[in-house]
Amino acid sequence: MTPRKDLLDIQSLTDEELEFILSNAVPFKNLFKRSVKKVPTLKGRTVLTLFYEPSTRTRSSFEIAASRLSADVTNFSVSTSSVVKGESVLDTVATLEAMRTDYVVVRHSMSGIPNLIAKHTNASVINAGDGFHAHPTQGLLDVFTMREVFGGDVRGARVAFIGDIQHSRVARSTNLLCRRMGMQTAMLAPGSLIPRELPQEIAVFQDWKELYAWKPDVIYLLRVQTERQNVPFFPSIGEYHRLFGLTDERLKWARDNGIWVMHPGPVNRGVELTDSVMEYERSLIDQQVENGIAVRMSVLYWLKPGSSTEDKP
Amino acid sequence: MKRLFKGGEIATEDSPKLTRVDVLVEDGKIVQVAPGIAAGEGTEVVDCTGKVILPALFDVHVHAREPGQEQKENILTCSEAAINGGVVGFVMMPNTAPAIDTAGVVKTVLESARKCRIPLYTSGAITKGREGKELAAIGAMKAAGAVMITDDGYPVSNPVVLRRAMEYAKNFDLILASHCETMELSGKGSMHEGKVSYSLGLEGIPAISEEICLDRDIRIAQYTGAHVHIQHVTTARGMNTIRRFKEEGVKVTCEIAPHHLIFNHEDIRDYDTSYKMNPPLRTPEDNTLLLQGLIDGVFDVIATDHAPHTEFEKKNDFQSAPFGITGLETALPCLYDRFMSKGVFGWDVIVKRYSAEPRRIIKLPPVPVVEGGVAEFIVFDPNGSTTFTKEFMKSKSSNTPFLNQTLKGSVDVVVLKDEVLLNR
Repeated sequence: MTPRKDLLDIQSLTDEELEFILSNAVPFKNLFKRSVKKVPTLKGRTVLTLFYEPSTRTRSSFEIAASRLSADVTNFSVSTSSVVKGESVLDTVATLEAMRTDYVVVRHSMSGIPNLIAKHTNASVINAGDGFHAHPTQGLLDVFTMREVFGGDVRGARVAFIGDIQHSRVARSTNLLCRRMGMQTAMLAPGSLIPRELPQEIAVFQDWKELYAWKPDVIYLLRVQTERQNVPFFPSIGEYHRLFGLTDERLKWARDNGIWVMHPGPVNRGVELTDSVMEYERSLIDQQVENGIAVRMSVLYWLKPGSSTEDKP
Repeated sequence: MKRLFKGGEIATEDSPKLTRVDVLVEDGKIVQVAPGIAAGEGTEVVDCTGKVILPALFDVHVHAREPGQEQKENILTCSEAAINGGVVGFVMMPNTAPAIDTAGVVKTVLESARKCRIPLYTSGAITKGREGKELAAIGAMKAAGAVMITDDGYPVSNPVVLRRAMEYAKNFDLILASHCETMELSGKGSMHEGKVSYSLGLEGIPAISEEICLDRDIRIAQYTGAHVHIQHVTTARGMNTIRRFKEEGVKVTCEIAPHHLIFNHEDIRDYDTSYKMNPPLRTPEDNTLLLQGLIDGVFDVIATDHAPHTEFEKKNDFQSAPFGITGLETALPCLYDRFMSKGVFGWDVIVKRYSAEPRRIIKLPPVPVVEGGVAEFIVFDPNGSTTFTKEFMKSKSSNTPFLNQTLKGSVDVVVLKDEVLLNR
């Protein structure tokens, strides 16, 4: 397997690389059961988190993953840095390059910023979510989680994405990976939140009845991103919840049919789902969070920074 | 001063066939076009064996960036870029800083243009500051030398303002050129809305943004009886709308940019800002149908929309980078490389659409290579090639997808009257 410097999206991963990341996440997850959850794999390496968008879950997940591999972790706090004084992304990258960081974990509201940074640094760049584009580690941890519940073989499993497909980088990355792994996928959303053209033929449902008939194994709820909607895409949150949310009644259907529920977080209670989902026995939301750390450890282990390939552990 | 261009083949707008003749130029005029002209004493002979002699190109859509954005380009560098591409004369767009929206700015721009080696023309804005609200001093700008009015870069969104502008422009026999875009539909889009924009996570500019505005603008032209020129058409549906209105007798002309024939949204890989332009690159199907429209004559002119930007600006992320690519220097080689060398269309299309008609649109006579005509032609080597390095290009900017690429064909000689402006 040719060493890879960056993880920017799902598309560019080969089958071999995918399998490497997913299978190596298993022993990393097994570490979590030990009292000492740390290995010396990345000792002496620096991981820098560069988050231009607010995030608690993803950033913490990367930070924990890096520290469990014994890397030194620094958070480049964008809001207090010179970025607010007008420094461009590439200026910031030049600064980081001078600091000889090994890994940069980037989140940005603009699609393509991690690609731009990757071109200008020797450090390994990991896309932790860019605009509407991609969130590859989320896709990897989602599929890792599905492999766990389906006993390793996910081929033929049916996954329905519900919600703000238009603005969701999670839907893009996870859907793409599900299809790569042989799963069937479908979407249910208000017409205004479904992209006009999708790269693949995907079943698009108008309502839950159609979804019931499709018999999904997993329903993947997406966060409604009102902050991205400059013109309202639907009349009200109440109407959205009534028509597209996982209500108590629909949760009963899920329970009766043994359907798994996933959500990338953070959850909007009373919007995408009802409170009761948090206690639902087939909710995978907490498992996704735990697996996120294992998968991100595996990604850090897999990548090879450009400036220091000769002595990679 | 006599020059004999010997052994070349002449292209005309009437036929794809080339005619093998020699061309004798004396004191800026073509005095003889015939086979086997003998070079008299003191005559400079330019060997054109195997090469094509065609009327100099003319571009009705060029951003020279002066005044105000000289870090990208200025009128002088823009004119040198034009010569480098075989373009002898162009019309500047008014989206400068300040906008070319008064007689004073028109005069200033034309004053700069006089220092160039080729004749240049300018358009004036339709509305003050190109804000789409109040009419600019259209009559005064015409008197100062403006040959066209346009708010290019923006549409005139308010249909009442556009109607008044068209009605008013008619008094001055001025063509109104229209950038067709429905701004609300374009939103923050940075590329064509479709499966590629979805994959890249970029907000899209839907085809209907252009098509709705185009339809509206031509209907207003039909209603007012004005002549509207639709700039940079990108969708087959929009082109067919123009075709239909033309058949109805509406005074509408339109232009196609080489990049909208050659590239499409699937070329946008890894957020390469060289492919970011407005209107955006559409679909491969549009490429095919627009090309057919050029061949069958829906498109009156080829125009590059030469839009230089600094490397610093284009190095930004895709959403933040400005729209536009340069085009003056690459237009003829890229059209030759992609189409003519493969027999898709002949030299007549180039002569008619990128020389004669563009001149006619602004009421200049064409410059065919004929006896008694003014010497304003180029010599193109179909067997040559051009590599578009930064060093090769005369524009201040090099924001083109062709950067560091080699295309078939080479503009070898550019002649304007008694001067050889370029001789490679």
